[in-house]
Amino acid sequence: MKLCLVAMLAAFTSLTALAQGQNKQIANAFEKRVKDYVKLREDIEAKMPKLSTEAKAEEIETHKKEFQDAVRAARANAKHGDIFTPEAAAMIRAIIKDEFKGKDRVELRKTVLVESEVKALPLRVNYPYPEAKEQLEMPPTLLLKLPQLPKQIRYRFVGRNMLLVDRENGLIIDYMTNAIP
Amino acid sequence: MKRIITSLALTVLLTLTNVHGQKLSSAKVNGSSPSTQALKLTLPNKEGSVRFVVIGDTGTGSNQQHELAEVLTHYRQIFPFEFVLMMGDNMYGSEKTVDYKAKFEDVYRPLLDQKVKFYAALGNHDDSNQRFYQYFNMEGQEYYKFKKGNVSFYSLNSNYMDKRQVDWLNEKLTADTSEWKIAYFHHPPYSSGGAHGSDTKLREIVEPIFLKNGVNVVFAGHEHFYERIKPQKGIYYFISGSGGKLRKGDVRRDSPLMDKAYDSDLSFMLLEIAGDQMYFQVISRGGDTVDSGVISRSTTKRD
Repeated sequence: MKLCLVAMLAAFTSLTALAQGQNKQIANAFEKRVKDYVKLREDIEAKMPKLSTEAKAEEIETHKKEFQDAVRAARANAKHGDIFTPEAAAMIRAIIKDEFKGKDRVELRKTVLVESEVKALPLRVNYPYPEAKEQLEMPPTLLLKLPQLPKQIRYRFVGRNMLLVDRENGLIIDYMTNAIP
Repeated sequence: MKRIITSLALTVLLTLTNVHGQKLSSAKVNGSSPSTQALKLTLPNKEGSVRFVVIGDTGTGSNQQHELAEVLTHYRQIFPFEFVLMMGDNMYGSEKTVDYKAKFEDVYRPLLDQKVKFYAALGNHDDSNQRFYQYFNMEGQEYYKFKKGNVSFYSLNSNYMDKRQVDWLNEKLTADTSEWKIAYFHHPPYSSGGAHGSDTKLREIVEPIFLKNGVNVVFAGHEHFYERIKPQKGIYYFISGSGGKLRKGDVRRDSPLMDKAYDSDLSFMLLEIAGDQMYFQVISRGGDTVDSGVISRSTTKRD
């Protein structure tokens, strides 16, 4: 009986280690795809006039529009799931599910699905996140657990979906559905 | 000793005049003209003090925002504040060139002309590109710090408190030897608001950092009202989120967090730091003082 328990515990431990190893691989691959996008947009931005830290409003507007147009043209074939592959999406769903349990989950669902102004936003990859719409706060405790993104990219919730958005040009780089349990 | 004196003996009554002693032009505010109304200042206006304003959730471009800004401009005649901290939601809706003009520049033009500096934080309605805007003084950063006299100000981006920002905050605060450390950002860690309430997930991350590094005061917005929270673990929290929008009657009056709240009209805060004291006065759109007091700086670190 004792031997049987030890064997079961050993099997469980090795399964957990295997799952962690697989998650690490999935996270690394996800981060690689994100970095590929960042390299592309950095190369584009480097060729554009640099925005001053004391820019006028019209300069900000022009820069954003030109940046959007250039990245959209360079990613004309981008499609849903390019970065949030099924494996990456499953891993992220599990992280969110683990972070938000019980009362926390109720609160998150209330914030995202009831109070938010952007719960029914149509999502299209390589199109801008509507400028006039709210950008829901990402729970900091969750951000510390998700794969860390380069500073140019943001996670964002819209309804139960999670988006990757470029913070400067506002483009939706990719999104995954049913992120929130 | 930490204490709040809610009614200061020092109350200065001044009739609104400009620097040349002339009456200022009339502007209607809540049916009364501030030019004929006596402005009441409860702040000491000491030589060499750090004088500033806290205002949040401004960016509507509405008549009400304009009216509050007029009151603020008038107050500068008797309380020459140097700068304004913006608690985020600096721009509701679209952010085209015309919006920057209508929702910010036109509203605060008299202050901009007087070289008053605005230091913005980002709210959930703000595009990250605001960090490049000439009048927000963010130096291209979503989170940044600056110093005035013996006071360090930390403007944080509570929309996206990721590891990068947490590490930055820890590092900067640890090295900071200023007498006063003030943090400001959009989402309130403590709030008696019925619609939103306390941002507990944010609090879980930032509060231990504030406690460890001796942050004295925290300002936030997001809730469209004014609230002074009872000191939490030695830190003073204020909400000033009715600079352009109001959620009338939203404060839960039975909240154990609340020390004082005002949710009947728009408001802003006037602040003055002199030595170990921070004086505050909260002014409504009608020009009334709805809260005032003084905080004494704690000189011990808290865990």
